[in-house]
Amino acid sequence: MTDAVILAYDPEVPRQIAFFLIAAVMVFSAFRVVTTKNVVHAALYLVLVLAGVAAQFILLGAEFVGVTQVLVYIGAVIVLFLFGIMLTRAELGDDESVATERRGMAALTGVLLFGVMTYAVVDVFDDQTIDRTEASTTGQIGDAIFKEYIIPFEAVSVLLLAALIGAIVIARKD
Amino acid sequence: MLDLLAQAAQPEFARPRIDWFALSPELVLLSLGALLTLLDVVFAERAKAITSAIAGLGLVGVIIPLVAVWTRVNDGDVLYAFAEKKPGATDPVGLEHYVIDEYAIVMKILFVLVGYVVVLLSTNYVAEGDYWESEYYGLLISSILGMVVMASARDLIGIFVALELLSIPAYLLAAWRKRDKLSNEAGLKYYLMGVFASAVMLYGMSLLYGTTGSTLLVDISKAVGGRESSSIATLGIVFVAVGFAFKVSAVPFHNWAPDTYEGAPTPVTAFLAVASKTAGFVALLTLVYVGFWGRGDVYEPLMWFLAAASMTIGNLLALRQTNFVRMMAYSGVAQTGFIIAPLAVAGNGDIADAALSTTVNYLAIYAAMNLGAFGVLIALARKTRSAEISDMRGAFHYAPGLTAVMTVFLFSLAGIPPIGGWFAKFRVFSVLVQDDSVSGYLLAVVVAVNSVIALYYYASVARTMWADEAPDGDLTPVNVPPSLVAALGITVAITLVFGILPSVVGDFTDVSLLAGG
Repeated sequence: MTDAVILAYDPEVPRQIAFFLIAAVMVFSAFRVVTTKNVVHAALYLVLVLAGVAAQFILLGAEFVGVTQVLVYIGAVIVLFLFGIMLTRAELGDDESVATERRGMAALTGVLLFGVMTYAVVDVFDDQTIDRTEASTTGQIGDAIFKEYIIPFEAVSVLLLAALIGAIVIARKD
Repeated sequence: MLDLLAQAAQPEFARPRIDWFALSPELVLLSLGALLTLLDVVFAERAKAITSAIAGLGLVGVIIPLVAVWTRVNDGDVLYAFAEKKPGATDPVGLEHYVIDEYAIVMKILFVLVGYVVVLLSTNYVAEGDYWESEYYGLLISSILGMVVMASARDLIGIFVALELLSIPAYLLAAWRKRDKLSNEAGLKYYLMGVFASAVMLYGMSLLYGTTGSTLLVDISKAVGGRESSSIATLGIVFVAVGFAFKVSAVPFHNWAPDTYEGAPTPVTAFLAVASKTAGFVALLTLVYVGFWGRGDVYEPLMWFLAAASMTIGNLLALRQTNFVRMMAYSGVAQTGFIIAPLAVAGNGDIADAALSTTVNYLAIYAAMNLGAFGVLIALARKTRSAEISDMRGAFHYAPGLTAVMTVFLFSLAGIPPIGGWFAKFRVFSVLVQDDSVSGYLLAVVVAVNSVIALYYYASVARTMWADEAPDGDLTPVNVPPSLVAALGITVAITLVFGILPSVVGDFTDVSLLAGG
């Protein structure tokens, strides 16, 4: 059997191709988020990064996390960003003053953090592969929420109510 | 056959057995919060007069189930909120996600008592200040609920959710004087720094989960302790510890504290300085003793640095303050250093339990004396309308009682025998020396030097109050409402008892987290 035949039947190959394509888009967009001078563009580039994360999760077979990523980040957080930009009357066009101060320090921090994280991940996980034969994880997550994680689950509902009441008090005009 | 296969792939959902008795304090607290919210919805303005009384009585009521549970866990027993029947076993086995042991109960009692004193401090302040009353107490109760959950949470998800439940109402309360720019700044600063720290911590948690495959602290301990050190686990531990170092305002994560303390309403400041900080310590203790046990090579140097830096820098900055609240903020940073110090030697198996009970003991005394000091400030500010130290001049001439009580709290914070703070500091010192290592002795020296520095600024406030002349010769007495008198009575009694009868109350804080070894 030649190499070409093996490749043709290996399901890892399309996954790998998809992974690197998505990763390339994510890296480019993440770079643009911090280099673009337009705040709205930065938020929209962030959408691309987060959508890429969701796609990677789905490639890994974690469909619940992937869908949650789309709902929470693209659906809620980015919309919140855009609302925030509009409500605070920020400069909508190109703004030369954005992110020129302390640019060097920020870049240095970013590079250092990237170095440390890359080293740690490569050092520990190296070429381990994960088992992707398991069926859907959504059911397991549902079971876990109503089993051992029921207290955090209920605590979150109290938290949301408290945050809602508090936010209304702070935001009211009187 | 197909059915069997399907069942093997997706096991039936089995409802775990829930120990309602062990959860009763949380349930009562939850009902109290719901009751306050509902009263406001149904009776609107008419409920205002009684909300603070209900919040206070309710918190006292929570003590009843707490003490009932305490009698069950007093002799080393452990209750689990959930139990699950493992296949093949006859009796259900407790799940380690939510554990009610003596340590958890002692901390819960402390949180509820602190909450009660904060309600007493708030009663007149909130009623007279045109604040949103029932919402104020509702948020306070939900924050306390978060702390109570934190004391029992033994897995990363539980700890994180408890942290958010106790923090988010606190962010809002810090901004409660919403027409005041300083208060807006306080809330915003606290919020932004808080979410940033949460994000760092959550990242650390994800690393720990990624490398151990479990959110349960006991499993994490098995995976990261003992074994060869792994860079991911080390990063995870450091990130998580940094997240809580922010919560307890340890140097270099203390920048938010002075501005937030100054801008927030004073009772909220007292709540942040005591309850919120204690909750951060509870999480740190649980993590160090249950989750990272065996990884002393990672957390000990980190804690050593945090302790030494917090004590020294906090004290040096406190020396230069002219505002009492800002001084208390920096003194709180220094106290954080004292409380962290035992964790720098906690990895030594012989004194690990002593280090834990020293920390718990310090937290209890710290709560009493710090709440008391803020209580006196709230009482004095009813006349002076200011938190500047210069405006406290000559307080002895018009409020001798308050001045005497404040002196007790200040000397306790400084660590003068025979008041509570002395006993707390002495135990920290002795546990550091017992470690019999260079780092332990060095840190003990730092503790000793800093105790002397701290005495200077605490004593100078006392001197201002006793010796100086009152401004403009204004000697009208301060009108101290009964709730404040009660709060000061409770805190001064606890502060003195801890110092005079340390052995009696010391038993209360003698707890252990190392049941499993």
